[in-house]
Amino acid sequence: MSGKNHTEESGSIASESHGAAVNAGKAYVMAGAIAHDLNTILTTIYGYSETALETIDETSEAGRNIRRIIEAADRARSLTSQLLDLSRKLAQNKAPLKVIDVLSETLDFLQPSAGSNIIVVRQIKTPGILVEALPEQLFRVFLNIAANALDSMEDTGGSLTVTLDASGISDGTEAGANRRQVLIRFADTGKGMDAETSARMFEPFFTSGKREKGTGLGLTIVRDIVTEMNGSLRVNSEKGRGTVIDLLLPAAEFGSLPEKPYLRNPEK
Amino acid sequence: MAGVMIVEDDAALREMLRDSLEKRKYTVITAADGREALAKFRPSVVDLVITDLLMPEEDGLMVIMKIREMKPSTRLIAISGGGQAGPGSYLLMASKLGADHVFSKPFLPSELVQKVKELLG
Repeated sequence: MSGKNHTEESGSIASESHGAAVNAGKAYVMAGAIAHDLNTILTTIYGYSETALETIDETSEAGRNIRRIIEAADRARSLTSQLLDLSRKLAQNKAPLKVIDVLSETLDFLQPSAGSNIIVVRQIKTPGILVEALPEQLFRVFLNIAANALDSMEDTGGSLTVTLDASGISDGTEAGANRRQVLIRFADTGKGMDAETSARMFEPFFTSGKREKGTGLGLTIVRDIVTEMNGSLRVNSEKGRGTVIDLLLPAAEFGSLPEKPYLRNPEK
Repeated sequence: MAGVMIVEDDAALREMLRDSLEKRKYTVITAADGREALAKFRPSVVDLVITDLLMPEEDGLMVIMKIREMKPSTRLIAISGGGQAGPGSYLLMASKLGADHVFSKPFLPSELVQKVKELLG
């Protein structure tokens, strides 16, 4: 009986927490969305104002009025810039995020750049699991790892299997024996790497791909972000067979901070 | 005269860009989303595509990918209204996929027309 009551209470707290998170998330996404739409409208205002000025005398009354429209548009542009700053600041709040939301966002984002000869498989074993992170940083980590996997299969095709699992994985330390670890595994059937390349892949400016594909800093940034999150990376690769990258992150203690859902396309 | 396709889901902006380019004697074709753009694209007519990135149906990244396949010599300009880290990544991804130039909204149409002129040489 007491167990039932406890469950109901937890459900209520979770629900309130989710409500707060939705509000925080809404502010973040709304600021970005409003700025985006205003920027689109402003482009039209600038466009027709510019066109009108080409056909009339700028010193005429109509010309001066159009100048005032452009000045007002400039002020609105400054406001949209402030809104984008606000959206950016709201996105900088570290909070428990559902890993699946960010992971899905990343894979959806990359889907157009995956050739038709590449299959992306999603194995989600623990959809509700949270980690404490900045949304953009987690997105960047997933993006860099998954984009490298897709690049490695560009010529030959293959499959990228992404697994999310947090069942029964602890961080192995005595203090954190009961703290769950979240495993995000990216397993591709691409070119793979020899031992030397694999050992150096997180070094700055090291790249085994075509130079025009990037700066060689992507995986160094991944390593730095993961370290900052108290996580770890494991690489298992075989030349000609493919690469498995395991990303292990500490699961967020649910309730330590209000959950903040990751929101798609803050620009739109 | 060269052919330009404009892919933009905001009708007012789409028409403004059409007016700006038609005044410079370009043949202009418009589409309200990626799917319509790919259906209307004719390699013999279109030399340059200006595409928004986040649109309903097929998005601008898909437009860039598909048009690069259909006619590799097509010049491509991506436009986007964000500017923060997320959308910035979209513009970056557009460049990576082969856009010749990107514009962050708001921009002046004269800048866009100048870039179109340069790219079509």
